[in-house]
Amino acid sequence: MNHTVASPSIATEAQNPVQGRGSTLTRLLLSNEFGLAVLLSFTFLIFANTLQGFSSTFSLFTIGRQIGINTMIGLAMMAVIVTGGLDLSVGAIGACTAMFFGYLAQVLGVPLLLAVPLSIVFGAGLGFINGTTVVKSGVHSFIITLASMSIFFGLMIFLTKAQSFNQLPPEVQGFGKSKLAGVVSPLLIISIVMCSALSLFYRFTTLGRSMLAAGANPKAAELSGIRTGPIIRACHVLTGGLAALAGLMLTARTGAAIPSMAGQLGQDWLLPAFLAPVLGGTLLAGGRVSVVGTFLGAAFVNVMTSGLLLMRVGEFWILACLGFMLLLAVLTDKARQTILSKKGMV
Amino acid sequence: MSAGAFTRIFDNDWIGPGIVSLAAVVGISVFQPSFLSPFNIFVLLSAISVNMVIALGQLVIIAIGQMNLALGAFGGLVAICFVGVMELYGASPVFALLFGLAIGTSAGMASGYMIARTGISAFIITLAGLQIFKGINLGITEAQPFYGVPQSVRDFGNLTMIGPIPWLVVPMVMASVGMWYLLNHLRIGRYILAIGNNPHAAELSGINQRVTITWAHAISGLLAAVGGIMLVAKLQIGQPTIGDDWLISSFAAPVIGGAVLSGGHVSVAGTFFGVVVIAIITQALVLFNIDPYIVQVVLGGLILWAVSINRWRELRVAKLQEQGK
Amino acid sequence: MATALQVSHVSKSFPGVKALSDVSITFQAGSVHALLGENGAGKSTLIKIVTGIYHQEEGEVLMDGKPVSFANPRKAAAGGLGVVHQERNLVNRFSVGENIMLDRLGAHSLSPVDYRSVYKEAERWLKLLELDVDPRMRVSQLSVAQMQLVEIGKALSLQSRVLLLDEPTASLTPNETTVLFRILRKLRDDGVAIGFVSHKLEEVFEICDRVTVLRDGQNACDSVDLSTLKRADVVRMMIGRAERISKREARPKRDVPPYIELKSYASADGHHNINLAVRPGEIVGLYGLVGAGRSELAKALLGQSPQTGGEVLVSGRPVSIRSVSEALHVYGMGYVSEDRKQEGLILLHSVLANCGITVWRKLATRMGFLRDATVMDHVGPILRKLELKTPSVYQTIGNLSGGNQQKVSVAKWIAAGVNFLIIDEPSVGIDIKTKAYLHDLIHELANEGTAILLITSDMPEMVDVADRILVMDDYQIKGEVENDRNYERVSKQIMGFIHGREAA
Repeated sequence: MNHTVASPSIATEAQNPVQGRGSTLTRLLLSNEFGLAVLLSFTFLIFANTLQGFSSTFSLFTIGRQIGINTMIGLAMMAVIVTGGLDLSVGAIGACTAMFFGYLAQVLGVPLLLAVPLSIVFGAGLGFINGTTVVKSGVHSFIITLASMSIFFGLMIFLTKAQSFNQLPPEVQGFGKSKLAGVVSPLLIISIVMCSALSLFYRFTTLGRSMLAAGANPKAAELSGIRTGPIIRACHVLTGGLAALAGLMLTARTGAAIPSMAGQLGQDWLLPAFLAPVLGGTLLAGGRVSVVGTFLGAAFVNVMTSGLLLMRVGEFWILACLGFMLLLAVLTDKARQTILSKKGMV
Repeated sequence: MSAGAFTRIFDNDWIGPGIVSLAAVVGISVFQPSFLSPFNIFVLLSAISVNMVIALGQLVIIAIGQMNLALGAFGGLVAICFVGVMELYGASPVFALLFGLAIGTSAGMASGYMIARTGISAFIITLAGLQIFKGINLGITEAQPFYGVPQSVRDFGNLTMIGPIPWLVVPMVMASVGMWYLLNHLRIGRYILAIGNNPHAAELSGINQRVTITWAHAISGLLAAVGGIMLVAKLQIGQPTIGDDWLISSFAAPVIGGAVLSGGHVSVAGTFFGVVVIAIITQALVLFNIDPYIVQVVLGGLILWAVSINRWRELRVAKLQEQGK
Repeated sequence: MATALQVSHVSKSFPGVKALSDVSITFQAGSVHALLGENGAGKSTLIKIVTGIYHQEEGEVLMDGKPVSFANPRKAAAGGLGVVHQERNLVNRFSVGENIMLDRLGAHSLSPVDYRSVYKEAERWLKLLELDVDPRMRVSQLSVAQMQLVEIGKALSLQSRVLLLDEPTASLTPNETTVLFRILRKLRDDGVAIGFVSHKLEEVFEICDRVTVLRDGQNACDSVDLSTLKRADVVRMMIGRAERISKREARPKRDVPPYIELKSYASADGHHNINLAVRPGEIVGLYGLVGAGRSELAKALLGQSPQTGGEVLVSGRPVSIRSVSEALHVYGMGYVSEDRKQEGLILLHSVLANCGITVWRKLATRMGFLRDATVMDHVGPILRKLELKTPSVYQTIGNLSGGNQQKVSVAKWIAAGVNFLIIDEPSVGIDIKTKAYLHDLIHELANEGTAILLITSDMPEMVDVADRILVMDDYQIKGEVENDRNYERVSKQIMGFIHGREAA
């Protein structure tokens, strides 16, 4: 794809000192994650102190729960961005999985303990189809997942006749409504656990390291003995699984499996799916990942959205705001990269 | 005919989809003679006209090697502004038209300028644009349509010109011919294709990337505006959901028509037949009482099939080049 | 004669390497000026500074006596500077004519292109170059030589006052070269200042009248009249001494069966009838000019290109290698790429990640779990031994100097314990000290039993390091030379194989 984020030009390189300067502390303070954490805390504190009802137990619970769900959506996209690819079908996979789950739980009466893992495997399977197609065809994942999003979604609607499953076992809704310590949603906990698992994955496993290598420089990775084909396929499987989990979490929240849960063709998930990782510092070009950043990004977006809603800002205007936020995030990151490279601290 | 000549024919972008269209028309009319009734032709041509303009909006961006995710959002916003300014402020249709086109063009220009200036990928910028303009759209309309569409506009969208040919065909033909001329005969069009094909060579040859990219997105915005207004005329209301389903079809038609997604090679004629194929299939599914959501599946399948064929053709060309050396 | 373009005391550094130091060169109108130097001497950097791709730190560039600083190549062209680069820069879906006239297609954005005059104008330049192609033909249908001529035509059509040509005859036949030289002579007579960068000394002596030689980023000579110099003088200036007295002795031959052997090997890339064998502990050199097919052979051996004929034997057994992963993990083969930045390293990642990438699989537990400390235990000693200069192993490798980057790109294969290592152009853009260090390292690896295939177009390096030298040209092996470290004799023999006659 043309016009991806440009790397620092040779001309600015010359101004670098030979080795990177700046202590670890400076690096930490200038990092994306820290800035985001500060922004998040700041926004939260302002809203908590000025908006009535923001810090009520119910409000905090709802915000936390939504952060859990949006983080998972963001993680799903993050997993594929890492290798420099895109997956437009995350919403479709999420919705399809939710409906599959609904079918299992409501129609077939499969016990939840079995239905949940089966559904996740189902979503991972859809990801497998994506991944295999991308690798075998050599075509960019943008167009493959553009096609698969409509194929998956269309087949799902056809098979389910667009009927929701709203006679799910009560444990589903119960799970979505339950509160730990009165304010924390288990959905939030699931996301935090997944974030930790993924952090460990990318740092401490061969597969995770290989994904980062293949994303940063597929040619060099291939020439160093990494089999990039299977790696990319694995990425899509991971994305599919995470999207599936997000779909299940959303089902728990609403208490029903609704075909339009992610919008037409699953499009509604595109914004949160990109916003969280990009805000959090995961490079679109691949090769660098920030799981913590994705979580903070999702958290910030949800805190902001909830605050704006409480301020009676129209729901629709918030959508525009989030679009601006995405723009601001990439522009700021671009500027930050230029400044850092000038100082030799990339 | 020698094997070489036979394959050379298929090197042309529009022959494939053209034959498929013809076959589809013939095939369906055998089963369902009412397919070729004047009324149905009118319906088909109306759909084709609108979708062709939308596809052209994406085509010019594919030509430069990028993608415009905000195409539908531009179209939707222009649609409601078009009706809104007439309904709320009593503007004349002509003024509203110019107003709408101006909005589309400037939105595109802003988008293109930002992409060119910052070097950030078009994907992200247009994704943000999609949300922003959709948000503004819904913010203004609060998801309620504007109903005040004047009779003249309704007529334009629903009356025929000659025989079964709708008036809507006129802007479609103008846009198609215009785009073909632009890409093949105007300097800006050649520069757009040059950048799509080899941005490095284009830069070294003295082409101003910033200006060209901005132009391309401005044209895309203009066409999105035209498409949105055409839809308002056809649907007879200012529907805020206009543009929501443009994403897949705006890519599908050019791709079926032979466009290369990395840029530098597109075909207006091919895109036209791509639009025709999609319109026919969509209608046929309804005619045969197949679930309309299967359309989505078929569209997706068509994209995959077309992309694979394009890629196969690219690889064959590269291989022939290697052997020729 | 008037001075058309002058480079005056220009310096340019990149992290850790001073690419150009106080370099001057004066291009005069009506003269063909050769710019010579080995790989890494600074020629491309100089050209990139003049044409506006890089910006110098010290010194200035003057055109017609006035200082200029082109912000980008576009402005350089507008300022009267035409360039033909080494790599092709054509829009391959466009016609020949359109490519030639690409920047002059119309007065402004919305002007219609007057194709008739475009093709007529293009025809002019094609005729001049005696290039028999229809200007309406698509560039993608041309041969590489034809494409090079089209680019030359494009530069000529700019009617610049200064014309720089970087390896313009790399893909041309002798006939085409004769035609080109005829044109260059005419341009010279018309007062154009021509810069000519080439590795082919015979051509330089044929067409040029002045010469500037760069060595290690500095002037070995500045704008000297070529008629006062003999070939031997020029070579001496390029390499720094008249005769290469290698401090190394010829290495003892090992009489062991080869680790890897190619018999009548042919590849889909176009290699044919390749016979090659490398024994454990042996350093076999593979010499050739740009485009000979050496790097392609390396990559094909590693499985990136299908084998179409012959046999590949590893430890005596025929194998069919289908991927680099297989080559490394099953057969212990490694490849230090010539393109360090794009293929050899992952610039975005840390030193540790780059160094460990080949051994992750080996070091991880069965579940795939692997701690950085484990990787460090394995690669740390190697990095220390190589005296790698980095504040920490977590430093982004893109920030290190070229020499240190190269050390890591070799270290990762040492870490992998490869049995057979192909090293491709190891010293391009590397400082002298690191270069000498790498040569010592290669010898050490060989002494420890690694079979090494050294690809380099740096003759002194080849003579200094290799035990015997295979000469490759046009995707075939043309001959073999035993290396007794007598530079004169060995280099003569090698050039003889390439040019098919005794090189002067």
